[in-house]
Amino acid sequence: MKRASLCALTLLLAAGPARAWRLWGEPSDRKIRPVQELSDARKPAEVLAALTPQFMQTLRGTDLRQAYVLMGDNLTILRRPDQALSTYQLGVSLFPKNVDLLTRQAGLLHDAGLNEQAKPLFLKALQFEPQHFGAHKALAEIEMSLGFPDRAAEHYEIALEVLEKRADVWRDYAEVLLSLGDSKTALLAIERALALEPSSKDLLVLKAFILRVAGDHAGAVNCLDLALAQGAGAGARRAKALWLLEAGRREDAASEAEKVLAEAPGDAAALWVLARGHLAAGRPGKAVEALTLAAGSAKRDSFSLRAATALRAKARELQELRLR
Amino acid sequence: MIQDLLLLLALAVPAAAAPDLSADALLRDHLWREVRAAEPSRRPKVGLVLSAGSLRGVAHVGVIKVLENAGFPVDLVAGTSMGAVIGSLYAGGLPLKRIWQIASATRVTSGNDLSGRSLISLLFFDKLLSSENTGKLIDQELGSKRFDQTKKPFACVAMDVYTGESIIFRDGDLAPAVRASMNLPGIFQPLEYRHRYLVDGGVVDYIPIDAARLLGAEWTLASVTEADYTVARPKSVLDALEQVIDIRGAYLSREQRANADFLIEPPVGDIGMLDAKRATEAMEKGVVSASKRLQAAEESLILASIPRLAGAWAGPEAAR
Repeated sequence: MKRASLCALTLLLAAGPARAWRLWGEPSDRKIRPVQELSDARKPAEVLAALTPQFMQTLRGTDLRQAYVLMGDNLTILRRPDQALSTYQLGVSLFPKNVDLLTRQAGLLHDAGLNEQAKPLFLKALQFEPQHFGAHKALAEIEMSLGFPDRAAEHYEIALEVLEKRADVWRDYAEVLLSLGDSKTALLAIERALALEPSSKDLLVLKAFILRVAGDHAGAVNCLDLALAQGAGAGARRAKALWLLEAGRREDAASEAEKVLAEAPGDAAALWVLARGHLAAGRPGKAVEALTLAAGSAKRDSFSLRAATALRAKARELQELRLR
Repeated sequence: MIQDLLLLLALAVPAAAAPDLSADALLRDHLWREVRAAEPSRRPKVGLVLSAGSLRGVAHVGVIKVLENAGFPVDLVAGTSMGAVIGSLYAGGLPLKRIWQIASATRVTSGNDLSGRSLISLLFFDKLLSSENTGKLIDQELGSKRFDQTKKPFACVAMDVYTGESIIFRDGDLAPAVRASMNLPGIFQPLEYRHRYLVDGGVVDYIPIDAARLLGAEWTLASVTEADYTVARPKSVLDALEQVIDIRGAYLSREQRANADFLIEPPVGDIGMLDAKRATEAMEKGVVSASKRLQAAEESLILASIPRLAGAWAGPEAAR
């Protein structure tokens, strides 16, 4: 009976996920434990000094795997990502089914913007640990950056089963849903984020964007007001000015634009709002002045500069028509 | 312990930043909303142009997916060869999900009767193959539509092999025209249709911008799936034929791409003309490429629309 239980336990361990050893605590072997303790004590230089090639040659199995993890992690702490990456790469080549090494290598590539290279590694990690929330979250970010918001949403849904207390993850999920045009679910997601961080101005601004897409223009502007009350800067006011213009409230829009200009003189978006007001009021000359100012203060080759130049050309035409 | 901390730290970094509230981003967002909401007469008529490119051309599906998701206005469609097949299905109103499915399931034999036996008859008995399946596919998916029954105006291009003329189809039955546009010379029999002997339009009109203009396009977005013929080393009759067609296509597209208002070029140059195994990869490359270029495409269309939109913004007072 005892023997059967032992066999069952052995089988369970062998068939378990790659990180099953964690259930029984830290790596078992005595050799790596002192290095692990150095790492836990946040002594990265000492960890690297301890992991000499000679020492590494004496390690086997879990120890060796853990040594690569420790070396890569501590190289990352010391801001040597290139060396950390090559360490993880070597580790993965020796332990291709180790989720810790796979996700770490993928994470570094993802941080470096090499998403197309990171993606297959995260996917491979999911083969061994299908519910790995870190891999799902990273894959969600990658899929979104590559242009697959539908796939990103699926990954966020799995990641949020574990990360449900993370407002930033709910916010990212809401953004993904917004880009899919699903403003109703996006609103639910941003409400979950706001429940966790009720006074976050960034979350309020995103909620305003969602409400605008959902067609609740007044609600969107009110939400921007809430964000402004929480200390959101000129950006939120700039958005408010443009959105008021969209709603046909030109005078209110101009008043907000003036406030933006008081904070950020020469702001191209605020000047655009003023120019549009002048155009609508039959003052193309004034519009040309505002747009000239906008074009002069916008960065070279920026969209604001090109848009201001295009509208200025049209305003000039209208001005000449009036003078004839 | 520390690795868990590191993982948490990595995960704690916000990936997608809060909405971009810079003047550029907000102005773009505001104007894009105006362009999308504008009546068609208040912005240039947008033509989507899908190039030739055989199996590489399935990347167009990825490009269309991104444009659709972003609500990019597409008023009409023109295509050549594989661009004609994808374009006709899209303009015909087939859901994008279905087009993606069809393209994913593409096999070398999907649009023809290419098989070991038929290749032997091609090589030894000089008997050209039939591209009949292309026409069947269009009829099957769209239900024998005519050009005037598509949801968006559509045109496709073939070449008359006897006169060398480029023939733009924009009326009559859809299926034979699309089949003619995708009728690879040297492999498939020229299609006799409307008293002409037609082969693949990619030979004369690789990026059919002229066809889009003929339909009334004032601003064209071209998806180009050109081959990188410098990586290929032909080893067979088919390879050599493919290489010549690709080189010819590259020369043609070099001149034509200058006529497009905006270009999206999925990096599918290394995918062979009949490399059906890589169809999904090609579509995904189309998505990635279009996603990267989407913002620039929006900006380009906004700037082209401003002069017309300004007319509405100015109101009656300004013109007095």
